[in-house]
Amino acid sequence: MAAVAHSVPYSIDARARDLIPKSKVLLVGAGGIGCEVLKNLALSGFRDIEIIDLDTIDVSNLNRQFLFRKEHVGKPKAVVARESILAHNPNVKIKAYHDSILSSDYGLNFFKRFNLVLNALDNRTARNHVNRMCLAADIPLIESGTSGYSGQVELIKKGATQCYECQPKPPQKTFPGCTIRNTPSEPVHCIVWSKHLFNQLFGEDDPDQDVSPDAEDPEAKINGENSVTESGNIKRLSTKQWTQDIEYDPEKLFNKFFSEDINYLLSMENLWKTRTPPKPLSWKDAAALVGDKTKKDENSVRVRDMEVWSIAKCAQVFADSVTTLKKEHANKDFLVWDKDDQPAMDFVAACANIRAYIFSIAQKSKFEIKSIAGNIIPAIATANAMIAGLVVLYAFRLLVEDYEKCPSIYLRQKSVHSKFILAADKQLTKANPVCYVCSPKPFVNVFVNVDKMTVKEFESEVLKNHLNMVAPDVVLDGKGVMVISSEEGETEVNNDKALSQLSIVDGSILKCDDFLQNYELTVAVNQYVPVEKDDPLFKVVANPEELKAKETQNGKENGATSSKDAESDEDDLMVVDEVAEDPQEGSSSKRRKLNNDSDDEDIVEVPL
Amino acid sequence: MTEQQLSTVEAELYDRQIRLWGIKSQERLRAANILLIGVRGLGSEIAKNIMLSGINSLVILDDGEVTEEEPQTNFLINQDSIGMKIADAVLVKAQALNPLVKVSADTSDLATKDPKFFEGFTMIIATRIKTDLLMKIDKVCRANNVKLIFGDVFGSFGYSVSDFQEHDYYEDQLRLVSKKRVLDATETKPEKETVNVKGQIVYPELNKVLILPNTKQSVDHIKKVKRRNEYFFLMLILLEFRNRQNRNPDIEHKEKDIALLQDIKIAVLDLYGFDHNKLNDVLFELVFGEVVPVCAVLGGVIAQEVIKAVSQKEVPINNVFLFDPVTFCGKEETVA
Ligand SMILES: [Zn+2]
Repeated sequence: MAAVAHSVPYSIDARARDLIPKSKVLLVGAGGIGCEVLKNLALSGFRDIEIIDLDTIDVSNLNRQFLFRKEHVGKPKAVVARESILAHNPNVKIKAYHDSILSSDYGLNFFKRFNLVLNALDNRTARNHVNRMCLAADIPLIESGTSGYSGQVELIKKGATQCYECQPKPPQKTFPGCTIRNTPSEPVHCIVWSKHLFNQLFGEDDPDQDVSPDAEDPEAKINGENSVTESGNIKRLSTKQWTQDIEYDPEKLFNKFFSEDINYLLSMENLWKTRTPPKPLSWKDAAALVGDKTKKDENSVRVRDMEVWSIAKCAQVFADSVTTLKKEHANKDFLVWDKDDQPAMDFVAACANIRAYIFSIAQKSKFEIKSIAGNIIPAIATANAMIAGLVVLYAFRLLVEDYEKCPSIYLRQKSVHSKFILAADKQLTKANPVCYVCSPKPFVNVFVNVDKMTVKEFESEVLKNHLNMVAPDVVLDGKGVMVISSEEGETEVNNDKALSQLSIVDGSILKCDDFLQNYELTVAVNQYVPVEKDDPLFKVVANPEELKAKETQNGKENGATSSKDAESDEDDLMVVDEVAEDPQEGSSSKRRKLNNDSDDEDIVEVPL
Repeated sequence: MTEQQLSTVEAELYDRQIRLWGIKSQERLRAANILLIGVRGLGSEIAKNIMLSGINSLVILDDGEVTEEEPQTNFLINQDSIGMKIADAVLVKAQALNPLVKVSADTSDLATKDPKFFEGFTMIIATRIKTDLLMKIDKVCRANNVKLIFGDVFGSFGYSVSDFQEHDYYEDQLRLVSKKRVLDATETKPEKETVNVKGQIVYPELNKVLILPNTKQSVDHIKKVKRRNEYFFLMLILLEFRNRQNRNPDIEHKEKDIALLQDIKIAVLDLYGFDHNKLNDVLFELVFGEVVPVCAVLGGVIAQEVIKAVSQKEVPINNVFLFDPVTFCGKEETVA
C-alpha cells in the first residue's frame, strides 16, 4: 500500500525504513510518555504494537495524556489509547492489555515475541521487572522518564550497556521515629505525623505509625534512664479505642493531640535544651488565632487552596473533616488515606499546620501540603513529548542494532548557565561487573538477624520488596532443603519460623530462583543485629566494599519509620538521577521522596 | 484580555503543571491569545502542546489542502478530510484536546494579511514560512509588543528562532542558607531555600539573526559568527532553499534538490567565511520530509518556549535552538 510506505519517515537509516513495518513493539505504560510514544510509533509506520497499562484515567492526566478526554475518566488507559489511535488510523494493529506487566501471564515467551520493548512506566518495581524480563529474553529495552522539566532516555541491552539495576538507587527518604513523634523541625515532619494520625484515628492499625510522644527517645534520657516514667507505648495501644469512646469529639481530640501530648513532650526536658520548645495549643486558644480578617472570596482556588490558613481556620477544618471522616468510617472497617479524598486531605493539611505552629515551623498552603503528602511529581506535556520523540528515534536505531549510537540522553531545564537542553552521554554506560541482576553469576550479601527474621519476612521484605523478585523458590545450598516455594502449600509451614530454625545462619548460602523472571540469585547470609533504634532491619550489599562506605554514612536504607501508604499516582515519569548533575539546575533534583515507600520517583523512573 | 482567577475545574485539570510553574503562570497562560502559522507535522505538535497548557485562544492559519499523505503523519487530520483545507481539517481534533480553549481556523494566504491582523495576539508561532514574510511579521510584532517564535523540521533536523524583544522573566533558584536553629548533630546539612530571581534578555530583531546571501541586510554582524555551530548554517541553507523554490526539499526530486543545496551551501558559507569542510554534504541526506518523532521533540521545545514567553517564568532560549540530527542533542546558540 502506497499510503503505508509514505508514513515511514525519510531521512533515517534505509534499513530501518524497511524494518519498521515488519517489527513488533511492546509499549509498557499508556500515561504521559506512553500516549506520546504510541502516537509517534503509529505515525512513523509501525504496524504491530502491543500496549499494557494497569491504570485508569484521572482528570489530572488530561493536561498531557492527549489521547484521553474528560469522558474517558475512569476507563482503562491502554484500551482508550488504542481506540484513539485506531480512530485516526485503522491500519495499525494494536493489542491493548488493561493489566499489570508483573503478572505471570507475561512471561519470557511473551517478551520474546517482540523486536523492541519501550518502557513508559512510573514505578521502580515494574521497571526492575521489565529490565529482568528483557535481559532474560535478550530484547533491547528503552527506558524513559520525566519529572517536571527534566527527563531521560536510556538504552538497556544485554552485553552492550548497564542494566536498570546496575547502580544502586538512592533509598527512599525516611525520618527517624523520634523526629516525627517528638522533635519535628521541618514541615514534612508535621505532614508525616498528620498522615500517621489519620491512620491512628481512621485507618488500619500500624504500630510503626505511632503519633504519641516517644519516651524511649535516646535524647530524652538522662544517664540512660527515662526522664519520665510513663511509657508512650502504653498510651498508644488505646488511642483508637479512646477516640471511639469519646465519639470522635473534635474538641477533645484537639486538646489531646495539640495540648496534652505537647505538655507531655515539654516534660522531657532534655529535648528542649537546644531547641525551641513547643507551645501547647488548646481548642479554645486556637479559635482566637484568626489571622488577617480582611474579606476574601472563599470560592476562589487561590484563597481556598493556595493561601496559608489561619490557625482558627485550621481548627475549624480539623473539626469539620473529623466529623465527615467519622461518618465515612462508620460504614467501613478502616479508611485508606488518599490525597484526592477531600476530607482526608483537609484533615492532614489542618493537622500539619497546627503542629507546625506549635513547633514554630513554617506553615504551608493545602496545595503545597498535598504535593508533599501525596508525593506528587509535576508533569507537563512538553517534556513528555520531547522524551517520547527521542524514544522513537532510538527505536529506529535499535531495529538495525545500532546500539553504539544510543547513549543516554538527558532533558534538562534551561538555565542561564547551560546551553544544552538535550544532552547525550559520550558513550554507552557499561554494565557493573558485580550487578546482582545482569552479571553472569548474580550474587548478594544479605545482613540480617537470623534469630529474629522469619522466613515469611525474608521472602516479602528481602526477596520481593528489596530484591524485586516476584515468585521466588529458595533452596538452602549444601543441604538441598527447599525453604521457600513459589508453589502454594509446599513451604507455608516454614513461614513463621526464624531463619536460624531452618539452619539458615551466618555463612549460609541460599539459591534463589525466580522462574518468571528467569533469574537466579545466590544470597550469602550474614548475621547482623541492629543496634540503634533507627538501624535498618536488614541490609543488602552486592559488594562488601560498598557496605563499609555505607556504614560510615547512615544505615537507614530499610526499616526506618516510613509510611507505606503513599503510593504516588503519577504515571509519568520518574526521573533519573543523573538529571541532577548540573548543579545549576537544583530544582530537578528536588525529589519528594519524603515519607513513603512510594516507588515513584526516581531514578529512572519515568512516567508514562 | 485580563488575567482572571482560575476556576476549580481548571485548577484540577492543570494541577500537575501548576505544581511546576505556579498559579500565576497558569493565569497568564489563561489570558494568552496565540496565532499558529502552519499546521503540518511540526505545527500540529505545537498546537497539541499549547492547547493542553491552557491558553485562552488559538488561531490556526494555514492555506494548504489535505493531501493523501498528510493524515499519515499528522495526528490532527483524519483520512476522510482529504481535499479539505488543512486548517479546517484540524479544528475538531484540536478542540477535543482542550474544550476550555477557544480555537479557530483561518485558511487565507499569509502573504495577503493586513499588518493589523498580527497586532492583537499575545504571541505568534510561525512554521514553514519564507524569510521575507517572517521579517515583515517580526516588524509588526516589535511595534506592538507581540512575541514571536519560528521553527521548522526538515527531515531529522530542526530548529527554532525566538524574538521575545525585551523579555523579563522570573525563575526559582535553590540557594543554600544557614540554619537559624541549632539542631541535632545528625542534621548538619545546610538548608536549601527557593528564591524567586528576576532576569531580562534582550533579543535581536530577526533581520540581524537570519542573514542570507543577496539580501539587503547589514553584514556588519556576521563577522562575529565565524565560529558558529555547523547546524546554524544548515538552517540558513534550508531557509534559502525555501525562499528560492517556494517549497521544502522533496524526496521526489532528491538528486536535484541536493545539488541545489550544495550550491546554496557555498554561497552561505562564503558570506560568513565558514570552512566548507566543516559542513558535511552527507547532512543533506537527512533533510527530507518531516520525521514525526523529530516533530515531537521540536514541538515540545517550541511549545515550552511559548509557555515561558507568555508566563514569564523560567529562562527562555536565547535565541536559536538547533537539534542535531545525528546525536539528537539540542543546544542553544546565541546569535547577534
Ligand atoms: Zn545490571
